[in-house]
Amino acid sequence: MRGEDRERNHEMTQTDISLLLADAADEVEIGTAPVQSVLRGGRRRKARRWAVATATTLVLAVSAGGTLAVTGLPGGATGNGHAAAASTASAPTTPDERHVYTPLRTQIGAGTELGQRWKVTIEVWGAPRTKAEATRQVAAMALLGLRPAIYGKDADRVGTYGNASELIGKTSHFVVRDWQGHPEKVLMFGTDASPGDLTGTDMEVASLPFADGQKDLPRLVVGQVAGTAPKVECTWHDGTSTVVVPRTVTGFRTKWFVCLASENTYYKSAKVIG
Amino acid sequence: MGERKKARDMEFQSFVVGRWPRLLRTAFLLTGEQHAAEDLVQSTLEQVYVAWRKIAAADESDAYVRRMMINAHARRHRRRLKEFLAPRDDSGLVPEVADTGDRISQADDRGALLAALAQLPPRQREAVVLRYWEDLTETQTAEAMGCSVGAVKSNAAKGIAKLRAIPGLAETVTHGRRL
Repeated sequence: MRGEDRERNHEMTQTDISLLLADAADEVEIGTAPVQSVLRGGRRRKARRWAVATATTLVLAVSAGGTLAVTGLPGGATGNGHAAAASTASAPTTPDERHVYTPLRTQIGAGTELGQRWKVTIEVWGAPRTKAEATRQVAAMALLGLRPAIYGKDADRVGTYGNASELIGKTSHFVVRDWQGHPEKVLMFGTDASPGDLTGTDMEVASLPFADGQKDLPRLVVGQVAGTAPKVECTWHDGTSTVVVPRTVTGFRTKWFVCLASENTYYKSAKVIG
Repeated sequence: MGERKKARDMEFQSFVVGRWPRLLRTAFLLTGEQHAAEDLVQSTLEQVYVAWRKIAAADESDAYVRRMMINAHARRHRRRLKEFLAPRDDSGLVPEVADTGDRISQADDRGALLAALAQLPPRQREAVVLRYWEDLTETQTAEAMGCSVGAVKSNAAKGIAKLRAIPGLAETVTHGRRL
């Protein structure tokens, strides 16, 4: 076969393949786009993304051990973060003022379980502005056995660990459970450019076991709601419910809340009330 | 729901409605089966929803979504999730009784092509579909598949060569398209 014939044949084959593909593609029945179903699935995935981060965090919590408890608190804050909030109100400029290397801590829930006091605290690490700040922040977190939830370049690859530059302009947070006589446990974490983007009755919520083992029912509920939400009602599977007042967290526009079910029941739903 | 979120959801809904037919056709060629195609597109769009703010702001949102779908398709193969690669006997794509009518001939072509595609390894199938159905350049295909242009060339060439080697399809190609 001559060269040009071969070329023509080759071209024809590719054109034919294109036409055959187009014809075969027409075979599929194009119904109405399942918009509502996609929306529901998307929202579920969004919620699950939190849960995925949580699951990853539980592993990290093992290496975190009890070291988080002795972390120095920035700005003299003693738990609710207000003292530190005052120090950040006047446009902080240095990394230390912005809490890039030492987090702000705010207690968002507390109680007693099996006779031992527990509390849930959220640590907020300020957004680094340069690569150097980001690198030092990652190192500071590593000293506490923590790693930030840096998202990969691909939107569908969540929970991957990229390079420190991906932290620039993003606030990181870790939600930690402190239960007397037990090692501290990181419940969930996240890294976001605009943390707490919720309005009205929007809510992001995760339910997880309270105790250290995975056998415990998902009795502990941690979530965030819009800054305007007055109260949150957590409903349990046995029909009972718990009402809590969500708390302001420095570094977030949203408020956070924690509910804990009694030993024999677990999370069913949560909603903003009042 | 807040106003901003509502507006974002509306924008996303328009995107879904507008892109659904094209994405479904591409997914059909990748999976070879209606339900698997719908499932692939739906799960891709759910992922798109999660990252919608980022995607809506991107210059090439379609390319972004295409890449997500190819990733999802590749992932399904890696995890060996259930997928129907070949048209089933009851799908109507491969008639059991041969006929000389044009419509049946077309069905033969489609059936032969889908069956042939199903026999290709996933990466070759993706390269062929993106290059010859989506009509992407080699560079665009490489971006969608997350690989080098060289790998696209190689996969597409191998895919086409295998398609040509399949008797049913080779015959179809040799005699040209019947419209």
